Amino acid sequence: MAHSTRPMTDWRKAKLPVFAFLAPATIIYTVFMIYPLLDSIRLSFYTSVSGGDLTFVGLDNYRTILGDPGWSATFWNAFWNNMKFFAVHMLVQNPIGIALAAVLSLPQLKLRNTYRTLIFMPTMLSVVVVGFIWQLILSPVWGVGPEILDIFGLKSLFGPWLGKEGSALITLALISVWQWVGIPMMLIYAALLAIPEDLVDAAVVDGASHFEVFLHIKLPLVLPTIAMVSILTFVSNFNAFDLIYSVKGALAGPNFSTDIMGTLFYRTFFGYQLQLGSPTLGATVASLMFIIILVGVLFYLFVVQRRLSRYQL
Amino acid sequence: MYKNIRKDDASRAVIVHAVLLSYTLLALYPVFLIVINAFKTRKGIFSDPMGLPGPKTFSLEGFTKVLAKSDFEVYFFNSISVTVITIGIVLLLAAMAAWAISEYEFPGNTVLALYLAIGIMVPIRLGSVSILGLIVDLGLVNTLTALVLVYVAQGLPLAIFILTEFMHQIPKDLKEAARCDGVGEFTIFFAIILPLIRPAVATVAVFTMIPIWNDLWFPLILAPGDGKQTITLGVQQFIGQYVTDWNAVLASLTLAIIPILILYLIFSRQLIRGLTSGAVK
Amino acid sequence: MADLKLDQIRKSYGAVDVLHGVDLDVKDGEFVVFVGPSGCGKSTLLRIIAGLEDITGGDLMIDGDIVNTKSPRDRGIAMVFQSYALYPHMSVYKNMAFGLKLAKTNKAELDERVRNAAKILQLDALLDRRPAELSGGQRQRVAIGRAIVRQPKVFLFDEPLSNLDAALRVQTRIEIAKLHQKLKSTIIYVTHDQIEAMTLADKIVVLNAGNVEQVGSPMELYHHPKTRFVAGFIGSPAMNFTRVTITAVEPGRVTVQTPGGKSAVLPFEVTTDHIGTEVELGIRPEHMGLDRAGELGVDGEVEVVEKLGDSVYLYVRLANGDRVTLRAPGHCRIKIGEAVSARADAAAAHLFDRNGQAFAKLDCPEEYSAME
Ligand SMILES: Nc1ncnc2c1ncn2[C@@H]1O[C@H](COP(=O)(O)OP(=O)(O)O)[C@@H](O)[C@H]1O
Ligand SMILES: [Mg+2]
Repeated sequence: MAHSTRPMTDWRKAKLPVFAFLAPATIIYTVFMIYPLLDSIRLSFYTSVSGGDLTFVGLDNYRTILGDPGWSATFWNAFWNNMKFFAVHMLVQNPIGIALAAVLSLPQLKLRNTYRTLIFMPTMLSVVVVGFIWQLILSPVWGVGPEILDIFGLKSLFGPWLGKEGSALITLALISVWQWVGIPMMLIYAALLAIPEDLVDAAVVDGASHFEVFLHIKLPLVLPTIAMVSILTFVSNFNAFDLIYSVKGALAGPNFSTDIMGTLFYRTFFGYQLQLGSPTLGATVASLMFIIILVGVLFYLFVVQRRLSRYQL
Repeated sequence: MYKNIRKDDASRAVIVHAVLLSYTLLALYPVFLIVINAFKTRKGIFSDPMGLPGPKTFSLEGFTKVLAKSDFEVYFFNSISVTVITIGIVLLLAAMAAWAISEYEFPGNTVLALYLAIGIMVPIRLGSVSILGLIVDLGLVNTLTALVLVYVAQGLPLAIFILTEFMHQIPKDLKEAARCDGVGEFTIFFAIILPLIRPAVATVAVFTMIPIWNDLWFPLILAPGDGKQTITLGVQQFIGQYVTDWNAVLASLTLAIIPILILYLIFSRQLIRGLTSGAVK
Repeated sequence: MADLKLDQIRKSYGAVDVLHGVDLDVKDGEFVVFVGPSGCGKSTLLRIIAGLEDITGGDLMIDGDIVNTKSPRDRGIAMVFQSYALYPHMSVYKNMAFGLKLAKTNKAELDERVRNAAKILQLDALLDRRPAELSGGQRQRVAIGRAIVRQPKVFLFDEPLSNLDAALRVQTRIEIAKLHQKLKSTIIYVTHDQIEAMTLADKIVVLNAGNVEQVGSPMELYHHPKTRFVAGFIGSPAMNFTRVTITAVEPGRVTVQTPGGKSAVLPFEVTTDHIGTEVELGIRPEHMGLDRAGELGVDGEVEVVEKLGDSVYLYVRLANGDRVTLRAPGHCRIKIGEAVSARADAAAAHLFDRNGQAFAKLDCPEEYSAME
């Protein structure tokens, strides 16, 4: 965030309504982003009796969600599911993204741009579309999945992965990885391109193989980008909703095994089946999500980022 | 001719291409599979899912059904209007704010820059309860305006951040030369700075567009009906309704995929340049 | 320690030919400098020797082995880059140790070699610093140190001094010369600066647009340039050229008519079929004098005066519009606009045919041919 160069012109001498330039962006941002965030946090301390007036209840909503046996089980189930969802992204998406970026940045690679364009394509599709595509492919009714596995002689491994409690969440996470791997790939690829060629040449002259160049030179130099990709992944994972909702609905079945914070938030806010929706309990879930994301972001800003130096290349 | 090519280089090239080709296949084949089956009869879909549509299996019944039973063209129009209008507003407002922040010294400059950056890391969805309340109060439920307002707020923080960084890189001499020539500040911004930030515009546009185009959440809670659905929500609702009609489902997915693929292939160069440009570090 | 042989080395990038068949012999322990204008292919040739670029055609031999397809690490070379290319995330020590670590050198030996190199280059106190915490000159020395520790058969330098300021450049130049005397290793050094080339080289290779113009010792190139390009490139300020017409030819002597209409007899071996043709006559500024006798003379008006302290450069415009540079002693008081006339010995002249090839000069006194 820190800018090395300071602004130069004093606003009083600007002969330009500096505040008129700032106002539109600041106002829209404040009204539709900051105010709702703060207002949601405020609402989490209130309750409304059947849609009526708000009454202040202090931390009661939090006690309900974290203390009430039914609520707390649901909450922690969603939280740990979300952690698993995030772990799959960290362990699968980011390594694949790094590997693809590393391969794409190899010198003298032909068709580099074609590969890059094609591999990035799923990222452009809507999450909903992606969810349905995989739902169809993995559907035992259609039978494409087993047929594809058969090509590799792995037909016996096929199962209704999306339908089973044990595998549904992981499968959904992998679908999400399939869609989003283009983003880490591109960001890391861009960072790799910024490494001067001389540096790689020097390492090659020093006797490094392509792999050793990557391990000892390129990887350490793109670590800050990898850290940034990781925190972006964390924030977007703890904010995820669309994929699970479109494949599994708000109930995040089977038996809530794919429930994550986003779907819990939606159900709490709008209600489902017999349970009525509650804006204030919804705001409480949102505030808890805010705290989780904040912890992650602060950890990144104050622990991770401080330890990783960016090098002047 | 080939005697100077290193042997290990040649075999490495083969491995590298094998790896990239397999991944490309993994990325494209599922989409391909959906698209080819959309053009088949129901029988064709199930008897030979991996084959191309042939004379016996070719059918457009799915498409006729989808076009008859839903307003796909409307959804498309909605999605494109929302995305394009949002990108336009974000670019203009963010450029103005970034210029004010990077160029002028005023009390609270740094604090304001930090305040505007909060939204980069904190997802706007967390404020949904109050956003819905706000939109209800403003009487904007089921309007595209509601979506545009929220998406503008969502896109501004990163856009301002990227453009501020970029404007810091514009050489001081350029602005000072203009000032010495007596050019007004408004003219400096519109005639000198805006054209100069063109390379960053692609970056901002891409990062604004991807989350908007893909979003299901806000259409679902702010504009879920009345023909104001975006394509993402439209597909979701349609498939929810016709889930067992494979022809209709495949056709609706294909209708959602194809235009995007065409747009993507046309603009992929700019898009990828935007993603990988130096403006984002 | 090694010798090197380049045999018809060619390089093209797609349809663009960058090197057109370079032949060269480098003897063990020799300091060879590639010099030439920017873009002439010096770096490409050096990178080919390093193994960083594939060879399009021809053979490269190190110690008698053809190494065309060997990777850099198997060639026994080390290279110093113009940008230094220090690993920004490693300390000075680790930068120097990197190559040895990859080669799995044992710890004690690695440490000894790094510390030894650090001592030679006075880097002892800086071993724990990162490159970002070093000055330009220090970075340069680390880059050299990284090459030294590998004890290569051949050192390759690509314009190593061009990022340094003028004073440091001279100082580092001397250090490199000392280093060569100490290590007695084979060095190939690329520069576009002819002064660096003259001061450092045992042997200079002048490249022009992908061709070798001439190979020789510094003084050989200075006194006996084989082409007009070499004559103009080596020496500062550059040699003066003017067009003259050959009017008569005798064995070992040629009569030319200067633009001023005067005739002069010069000691060159020219065949009779050149009679009547235009050729180019070149004389170095330092070989022309205001109060000097000589068979060749020019008259003109001083346009610019540059005072360098020990000498003065006069930029003179001749009656026919040609411009000529003269070097006069430092105490010279000539002012702009003054008319001057300068003379030079016929033996100081160089004569080039229309293709830029030099005519053989006979009867050359010591002053114009001294070799070291
Ligand atoms: N990778 C490349 N692709 C195409 N042309 C190149 C490449 N590298 C160098 N060249 C061209 O080869 C010529 C020689 O370059 P170089 O060896 O770097 O010159 P220099 O003598 O300045 O070091 C230049 O004209 C340059 O444009
Ligand atoms: Mg060069």
